[in-house]
Amino acid sequence: MLVQRSIEAAGIPTIIIAALPPVVKQTGTPRAVAPLVPMGANAGAPNDFEMQYNIVKDTLEQLEILDTPGKIVSLPYEYVAKV
Amino acid sequence: MSLTSIKGLQSEIFVPITPSPVWAPVTKPLKKMVVAIATAAGVHHKEDKRFNLAGDFTFRKIFDTMPSKELMVSHGGYDNGDVNKDINCMFPIDPLHKLAADGVIGAVAPIHIGFMGGGGNQDKFKNETGPEIAEIFKNAGVDAVLLTAG
Repeated sequence: MLVQRSIEAAGIPTIIIAALPPVVKQTGTPRAVAPLVPMGANAGAPNDFEMQYNIVKDTLEQLEILDTPGKIVSLPYEYVAKV
Repeated sequence: MSLTSIKGLQSEIFVPITPSPVWAPVTKPLKKMVVAIATAAGVHHKEDKRFNLAGDFTFRKIFDTMPSKELMVSHGGYDNGDVNKDINCMFPIDPLHKLAADGVIGAVAPIHIGFMGGGGNQDKFKNETGPEIAEIFKNAGVDAVLLTAG
């Protein structure tokens, strides 16, 4: 995504939580994770602090692990929105 | 035999091109990093100007002193049902504060950014909005940025 790439280009490492991994891959994300989440709840289910905490923690930990641009790491969390 | 019979032939079907890689190396451990959030989910303070749902390349500053209960979303491109119940679904600021308190990250940045992705003027996003947001984070001493709405 464009803003992520701008921040990265300015020298600040970035990572995105993606509900649509093929899209962020195609648009040239440097780092991404993909829990099984809908577009409206990337960081986990509403009012589920534990899930949100763990998704954010696992996402940020990838900053120290990923060593090449464009990799998308699956995260073992699932939330299906009730629509 | 050459497999290319007509050089420079282009498909009639629009094929998006993935841009060149961009990469800023991580230079310090996570537990020492100052982390900010940038979200394309249309998050902003309740008193702040709403986004134009038809397309908007502007952004809103979200100061870390703003309580999460005072934040809201204006975005026409996804189901806002969950994020209206809990802003942390797309702007996980409360978990980020807990991660700082737990020593997983160094600190939460003094400023975060909300904008409305999923459309709008892509040239503006690429050449103006994106670099402006990057400059704000640079000046705030941010070491890493977590994004949502990908």
